[in-house]
Amino acid sequence: MRSNYRRHFLYAGILVVVFTLVIQWILDLSLPLPDIQGSAQSAAIDNLIGQHVWLIAGAGALVLVIMGYSIVAFRARPGEEDEEGDYFHGHSGLEIAWTVIPLIVVTIYGVIGVQVLAQVTAPQDNEMTVEVEGLQWSWRFAYPEHGEFQTVEMVVPVNQPLLLSMSAVDVLHSFWVVEWRVKQDLVPGITTELRVTPTEEGEFQLRCAELCGLRHAYMLADVRVVSEDEFDAWIEEQLE
Amino acid sequence: MLMQLGLTRGLIYQAAGTVLGMVVTMVWRLLAGMDLWDQEVVFVVGGLVGGFAFMWGVGAIDDWLEWCRGKATPLVHGPPRDKPAWTRYFSTDYNHKVIGIQYSVTSLLMLMIGGSFALIFRAELAQADLQFLGMGMYNKLIGLHGWAVIAAILLGVGGMANYLVPLMIGAEDMAFPRLNAFAFWINIPGGLLLLASAFLGGFDAGWTAYPPLSTQGAVGYQFLFLAIYFVGLSSILGSLNLLVTILTMRPKGMDLFRIPIFCWAVLATSLIQLTATQAIGTAFLMGLSERALGMGFFDPEGGGNPILFQHIFWFYSHPAVYVFVLPGLGIISELLPVFSRKPLFGYRWIALSSLAIALVGFLVWGHHMFTSGYSPYLRVPFMVATLLVAVPTGVKFFSWVATMWGGRLRFPTPMLFTLGAISVFLLGGLTGPILATVASDLYLHDTYFVVGHFHATLFGGFVFPFCAAIYFWFPKITGRMYNEALGKLHFYIMTPAFWLMSIGQMTVGTMGMRRRIVDYDPTLGGGLVEARHLETTIAAFLIGLSILIMIYNLVTSAEIGVRAPANPWRSRSPEWQIPSPVPEHSYAAPLQVVGEPYDYGLEEEYVVMDESQAGHAQAH
Ligand code: HEM
Ligand SMILES: [Cu+2]
Ligand SMILES: [Cu+2]
Repeated sequence: MRSNYRRHFLYAGILVVVFTLVIQWILDLSLPLPDIQGSAQSAAIDNLIGQHVWLIAGAGALVLVIMGYSIVAFRARPGEEDEEGDYFHGHSGLEIAWTVIPLIVVTIYGVIGVQVLAQVTAPQDNEMTVEVEGLQWSWRFAYPEHGEFQTVEMVVPVNQPLLLSMSAVDVLHSFWVVEWRVKQDLVPGITTELRVTPTEEGEFQLRCAELCGLRHAYMLADVRVVSEDEFDAWIEEQLE
Repeated sequence: MLMQLGLTRGLIYQAAGTVLGMVVTMVWRLLAGMDLWDQEVVFVVGGLVGGFAFMWGVGAIDDWLEWCRGKATPLVHGPPRDKPAWTRYFSTDYNHKVIGIQYSVTSLLMLMIGGSFALIFRAELAQADLQFLGMGMYNKLIGLHGWAVIAAILLGVGGMANYLVPLMIGAEDMAFPRLNAFAFWINIPGGLLLLASAFLGGFDAGWTAYPPLSTQGAVGYQFLFLAIYFVGLSSILGSLNLLVTILTMRPKGMDLFRIPIFCWAVLATSLIQLTATQAIGTAFLMGLSERALGMGFFDPEGGGNPILFQHIFWFYSHPAVYVFVLPGLGIISELLPVFSRKPLFGYRWIALSSLAIALVGFLVWGHHMFTSGYSPYLRVPFMVATLLVAVPTGVKFFSWVATMWGGRLRFPTPMLFTLGAISVFLLGGLTGPILATVASDLYLHDTYFVVGHFHATLFGGFVFPFCAAIYFWFPKITGRMYNEALGKLHFYIMTPAFWLMSIGQMTVGTMGMRRRIVDYDPTLGGGLVEARHLETTIAAFLIGLSILIMIYNLVTSAEIGVRAPANPWRSRSPEWQIPSPVPEHSYAAPLQVVGEPYDYGLEEEYVVMDESQAGHAQAH
């Protein structure tokens, strides 16, 4: 046996830590989320994604470093062309460890996943219903609690929990405002629901996220999140 | 000469059969007092009859027809007597090595066709706005790209399994050679129907073909449904054959935990193919009959439910993704010990992890439907089941790096592709859990992030290992070495290009770009989205270029490569203990297992030939 494995393990271990940080940094740059966290759901989802990035970095570093380290340290050097490697073919303790530890890790992520899901889908007391209708290739909105009218832009008051009650006229569509993070399909024949609370005023874009035919790429609608006063004024305008 | 090829005859029969089927349908409609022309019904019957006419013309059912007449037919092995030897590759042939090569070459062809479709729309995406592709054309190309490369992957899987499994277990051939030929040839009418759908208006709902869009679209959908029916039939029959071969045809002493590890991967893959493929057949048959016969399965207009389709579709299509990658992962496990000169670490764990992935893979289809509008209570169980898949997948990675640890690594082209495969599949696997925890998927679903995820899994799990396998067994197949410098050039172009492409896709995805759109908002990601797209397009073209280099290498080396020794890699696997190219009947004598498959570093052999029974194999 050529190898002083204890020394190799030490070096590789240090490199795993270093590379976890490096990969995490690279991923942070490579996976940029939109700057605006436009809804009460956004932060929780961004955090969850951030936690996953650590998992990717850590597990990725572990495998890549041991692989890269082996490539360098255990390569056949000139003159070793006919040599064989060290003879060992398994270790039950290790195998059990790398079954059980990932099991624990995914369980933790499962628990976090359930919590965040509960958080982003939780019903609120004072929800306002907006009826969303998708059709090839446009959107319509109705505000049943404020009167009988339909609009082609979506205007909602800031910090008001919304219950979107959605239906599709022809084929599948999907409701997605990037800044709000969450999305939900619209299905002909049934009503689907999405809960979201816009927290940033401004003008955003609703984009259809489910392939729905020719003009799918351009199935857009303007979304305006406004103050409560502005919203009331807008409702008045619509009712005229 | 051309008419002597089964393939030519098959193609003529298919064309004639299609026309005949269409005419008969129209006459029958006329007699029944209906309108002469109903494109849905007429094209379906035409496509179906044409497909089976191909099988008749190519000669894949000749023996069975004889049997129906009560005549026994001998199983003829060997090149045709009255024709040049190369013609056997274009005709029905029962030798598994020929069939394996037929599969693999067809796979490469389909991969290049499907890849070209992608290059067309990648060029369009290099800049925001509409360039040269129309919206309709774009929507049709993405679906065609998807199914063409999926067909290519299934063919590649079939190619590796058919060529290698009988050789690895020392069997003379597959359990059912005629069924094997049938299962290969049925892919040809299938592939032709798939490509022909483009001329009938194509299919514009992506490879997933979700209704109601797919029940309303052009008649091209019917050819898609039929094509996948044929290709699926190939999967079912091929996997049955492989299962029986592996389970019943092993030589003395080769118990299941002593077979080469690739055979375990094929075992797990075949279990999935044999039991899941029916689901996509059902989904597409229902779509076909909804369109042709007005049955209201999916479109609510007719009383159907669109979500039902998604369940049936993914009940196949999730397990199918493991069909695409498990054989490739088997190739990785197969090659690492050879080039590390060290036993495979944790053979049993790797073998059983394939089975575990296959079984758990049946319980996770709902992770494609988190936003579909199914009952919200389904989300958590599907999340948990999906996260569990990461565990056996992790076992594979850890066992691979432990195999390399302490070895004496060398890096010819096949090893490079094996290492590339591990690194790329790692990227794909690790971007899975983030899609499994529902809340994060509510953001990432139907974005380019998912596109990045599955391209990494499929390149890492299929394309890289397939290349590794091609380079590795090339000397066994042709008796000549490939060009090492060109092989390395291929690797050093494709790997960085792939990483650039895959990360680029993920980047635009997290920036908020939806998938399946012909045009995107250039202000996404603070205006950086367009630059990432340009890089991704350049990378995609580099990948295409590198594949062309490989094809050039293979074609020229088969002619002028240096003669390969019987065992250039000093592998312990049985197929390397016999001459290259492999003789018609592979082994001159039955194999006897005397050691372990991956005991590199020990003197004793894995298998020896039982010379006392030499000649026994040919006696059949
Ligand atoms: C660690 C293991 C994996 C996990 C946890 C995982 C998880 C997921 C999830 C949750 C999705 C749905 C994403 C969405 O549409 O929003 C997905 C999509 C996909 N995955 Fe994976 N995945 C894993 C490994 C793989 C592997 C090994 C393959 C390929 C062999 C694969 C192929 C795909 C494909 C093809 C899709 C996209 C289908 C489509 O929407 O067109 N995944 N994966
Ligand atoms: Cu759409
Ligand atoms: Cu899946």
